Amino acid sequence: MTNTIFKSIKLINPATNFNQKVNVVIHNETIINISKDLNLEKFNKDNKTIIYDCEGLTMSPGIFDMRVNIGKTENLKFTQITAAESGITSMAILPNQTPKLNNPSIIDHIKRQSEDIYLPKVMVYGAATKDLNGLEMSEIGLMSEMGAIGFTNGNKSIKNSLVMRRLMSYATMINRPIIQHAEDEDLSGLNQASTTSIRGEMNEGEISTRLGLIGIPACAEVIMIERDIRLAKLTGAHYHIAHVSTRDAVNVIREAKKSGLNITCDTAPPYFLLNENKLLTYNTAFKLSPPLRSEDDRLAIVEGIQDGTIDAIASDHRARSKDTKAQPFSAASVGASGIETLFSLTLGLVHKKIIDINKAISFLTINPAKIHGIDNPSVEEEKVADFIVFDENEPHTIKQENLKTSPTPFDGEKIYGKILATYINGQVAFMNQVFKNKIIK
Amino acid sequence: MNKLSKNNSKVNKSSPVKLSSHHLLAIEGMQKTEIQKLLDRADYFANLDKHADTKYLSGYVVLNVFFENSTRTRVSFELAARRLGAEVINISLINSSIKKGESLLDTASTLNAMKPDLLIVRHPHSGAPLLFAEYLSCSIINAGDGRHEHPTQALLDALTIKRRIGYLEGLKISICGDISNSRVARSNIHLLTTMGAEVRCVAPSTLMPSSLEKLGIKCFNDMKEGIKDADVVMLLRLQNERMSGTENPSEREYFKFFGLDETKLSMASPNAVIMHPGPMNRGVEIASALADDSNRSLIKTQVEMGVAVRMSIIEALNHSKNKT
Repeated sequence: MTNTIFKSIKLINPATNFNQKVNVVIHNETIINISKDLNLEKFNKDNKTIIYDCEGLTMSPGIFDMRVNIGKTENLKFTQITAAESGITSMAILPNQTPKLNNPSIIDHIKRQSEDIYLPKVMVYGAATKDLNGLEMSEIGLMSEMGAIGFTNGNKSIKNSLVMRRLMSYATMINRPIIQHAEDEDLSGLNQASTTSIRGEMNEGEISTRLGLIGIPACAEVIMIERDIRLAKLTGAHYHIAHVSTRDAVNVIREAKKSGLNITCDTAPPYFLLNENKLLTYNTAFKLSPPLRSEDDRLAIVEGIQDGTIDAIASDHRARSKDTKAQPFSAASVGASGIETLFSLTLGLVHKKIIDINKAISFLTINPAKIHGIDNPSVEEEKVADFIVFDENEPHTIKQENLKTSPTPFDGEKIYGKILATYINGQVAFMNQVFKNKIIK
Repeated sequence: MNKLSKNNSKVNKSSPVKLSSHHLLAIEGMQKTEIQKLLDRADYFANLDKHADTKYLSGYVVLNVFFENSTRTRVSFELAARRLGAEVINISLINSSIKKGESLLDTASTLNAMKPDLLIVRHPHSGAPLLFAEYLSCSIINAGDGRHEHPTQALLDALTIKRRIGYLEGLKISICGDISNSRVARSNIHLLTTMGAEVRCVAPSTLMPSSLEKLGIKCFNDMKEGIKDADVVMLLRLQNERMSGTENPSEREYFKFFGLDETKLSMASPNAVIMHPGPMNRGVEIASALADDSNRSLIKTQVEMGVAVRMSIIEALNHSKNKT
């Protein structure tokens, strides 16, 4: 029987609105004591006790990364391990992987395969339509029973209005959100029948004109959202928009939320930190979907984060092999890695004084949990020890060569904040040497 | 090199041009003085007898690598390189390596391993020559990349205008047609605005790229308005192979509103000249008779100047690499 004591640590726990320096004691997998005064003798009495000196460090619930693509470059276990090292204790994966997550048995299989008390919990989005074809509803009720937390067509829009209406309507019975990658694919030239001559490659505007790349107009996003909001109103569904990237979208979502509809949305670090100017050298690490937008759009995403129109921040992790990125821009694959940089880049919003740290942690923890109706991740007495320990202020620079997944669009970015330890189910899922040295003998 | 000075008295024309880069990837970003020097040197080559000895680059190896169909550009580059005494190898990769699944960079590094001095690249994807330049050690000339740029075409167009009119600064130049899909238009816009010309673009709204006016030009959907008082009317080919059927209702409708005929041309300056990078669609972009009007059409001169311009560029890249 072992006790672990985190001495003089700043605990940020959004679920209880808590932000104070305390001592946290865990016994096996359970948090048994959180208090300002530490009675060492009490815990030392009949147990082996490990004490970490956590002066200057911070503890919070682990990150729930609600948008992870498992691509061909990774397998699930690798992604889980990388996620644990990045402070992530739960993650939701998209159905557009091989094989597609489009039936109850595969959902069950993934859940069993990924179950490991030392690794982040894997949540699964089921395919909203059979084979992700956008035409017929898949068995979302049965998948839901197997634990699917929501339904989506992954990186493709649910385009057909009738299909979307039926999906939303059906989803209200099983109390699950419909997650949309909002893009009018005819307008962006990205539907399956589109020829290469109109296939959208980046945001449309001055930069696409200069580069001779095919533009995707920003309105391709909001057109889909406006339609979906009307269908959400018709059906009463919980509608969630993934990786919001434009000003118009933020405005429309803000208004829809005011009118009382059950609408939520997330964004990802590229959309609040980068803009289309990054593409000027045809660097394919910036080829994303949705594409990086204008500076005005980026500022609107920041505003949306500030005023709460945007509910959550996800990594939108979509790692790609070097080979598929070392191509002319038009031929290169779409997507970038994200799980390893999600925490620090979000903490960057705190260092830039855009939001406070409580809010930043909420965006990564309780907000995504609320969206999916999952129990609030909370560091409280009697709860299972799922948390992270980090240094809020440690400066460092993101370098591709130090990351396990690629490509990062943030190579060379100076950031603050480093994960030192990740606890899952009271077990050490990750601990770096700096933290190991904090042990008091 | 001594024999050069005998041929031309102007010092700036008699020696190779030194550029800040040993690649020619785009006009955007080039300095006015560099463009000026390249044009002067090309002018010097254009004045030479075609049998004059200009074999300054013997032993220089040029690979003409074309991932897209081309006749005039490929032949023009080949002639230019040969006149300079270089060895030229033409490689057509329109489908071969791509079909075998080899990546572009593998193809490029294979070619690079043969140690050429210069790779002339045409590729259907915008930015592909930049990728080559990033990974390979030899010089790269962009011979047209997707919808991005076609720098040698803009230089030869500029030389053609200069030799006819005498200068570029202050000229009213209208570029008309399929601007969206045209790399020629983009290179010309950058070059002509850099040289101080007043550039206008005329196109149906569906073939006018977004925010084009931010490149320092004026945009028109009405051709008569767009070519009013123009000194040069530059036409572009309607690139049907890059279209989806939603840009333009029909060729005859296009000709009605955007094809150059006598009526529309009467709006331009009385001495206006007509240019077209070719290959042209007679009766679509231009009335056939106008294309053949040797007083007004510079279309053949453009082709002729292509060789001189490419000689000056190949020579300059060699010179710039040796000195850096």
